[in-house]
Amino acid sequence: MTPAPKTYVRPMNRWWMRHPAYRRYLLREGTSVMVAAYALFLLAGMVCLVLGETAFNLWRGFLQSPVSVIFHLAALAAFAFHAWTWFKVMPLTTPPLRFRGRPVPDRMIFRAALWAWGIASLVLLVLAMRFL
Amino acid sequence: MSQTRTIMIECLRYDPEQDQAPHYRTYEVPFTDEMSVLEGLQYIKDHLDGSLTFRWSCRMAICGSCGCMVNHQPILSCQSFLRDYYPARIRVEPLEHFPIVKDLVIDQSDFLGKLESVTPYLVPAQPLTPEDGPNLQTPRQIEDYLGYAQCINCLLCYAACPQYGLNNAFTGPAALALLARYNADSRDAGQKTRMEVVNAEEGVWGCTLVGLCSEVCPKHVDPARAINRNKINSTQDYFLRFLAPFGRGS
Repeated sequence: MTPAPKTYVRPMNRWWMRHPAYRRYLLREGTSVMVAAYALFLLAGMVCLVLGETAFNLWRGFLQSPVSVIFHLAALAAFAFHAWTWFKVMPLTTPPLRFRGRPVPDRMIFRAALWAWGIASLVLLVLAMRFL
Repeated sequence: MSQTRTIMIECLRYDPEQDQAPHYRTYEVPFTDEMSVLEGLQYIKDHLDGSLTFRWSCRMAICGSCGCMVNHQPILSCQSFLRDYYPARIRVEPLEHFPIVKDLVIDQSDFLGKLESVTPYLVPAQPLTPEDGPNLQTPRQIEDYLGYAQCINCLLCYAACPQYGLNNAFTGPAALALLARYNADSRDAGQKTRMEVVNAEEGVWGCTLVGLCSEVCPKHVDPARAINRNKINSTQDYFLRFLAPFGRGS
């Protein structure tokens, strides 16, 4: 058997600098950190609710602060981008869908997801305005 | 006859007998509008530096031999034209994430092992002989796998996949797309043997859907879709194991 030739393996350092698609991917995944941060923030609110009225009012008071407003705006932007990019890749993750014997085009799945998102947000907004 | 212009081609060079690490050499290449990057490389080899080493064969995006990186983008050099890069210089490198054997030639043996691991051939439910006649399919059954069957093993998708670059235990796009191709074939009954590869940590779960593999595929195989659809099958397989502990996978 001939010996394996000497080869050179290039390092992967700064791999995300090599292609814009890698940076878009990291941005998409990075926004999930904000999604997690917002979930923790809501959890903190729940803990305050359990602790009692004083704690919950403190948490509600913090909601009015500029830091909280900036955090919520940043979270909204991150959520919107995260949802948009996930709807974009959604057709790749669904099982093969057919309508009247023909495959459902990717853009239909993307648009359906956008509509569902829009309607769900609207319903939530109406309910919030009605009951809060 | 179109006008001749000159483009600078910066080429990665690595000679395992001389070099500790690769370096770059720049060549001035006269070209006409109809010249591909591959023809640019052939001009260098024929007229400027006979030691430049690269693979090629068919010159028409069929054989999958001439894949390389041009300006960090995995491409088939026979399918990309110098006129589209001019007047900027171009940087030609071997496919990313593979060991370099010499200049633009990479070692494909890791991929070939992975290809073998996905049982890339039809496994009939019962052994068939020519006397059994043709194994007929409807156009709809062919449609289910035809897209995935276009793979030419050019490895552009592996060069586009940072997950493979970071951890080459990952089975990778082309092998997993071919796995999906055989699983989707109505004549095949080998799904169970392939499920082990699908379910493994380095199987479909090694993919984080960067998605560049599908964008660079010259044959529109869409490995990202093949892999992510198999995540559903893998999840089903996992949960069905609890429902039927003495049946599947035992």
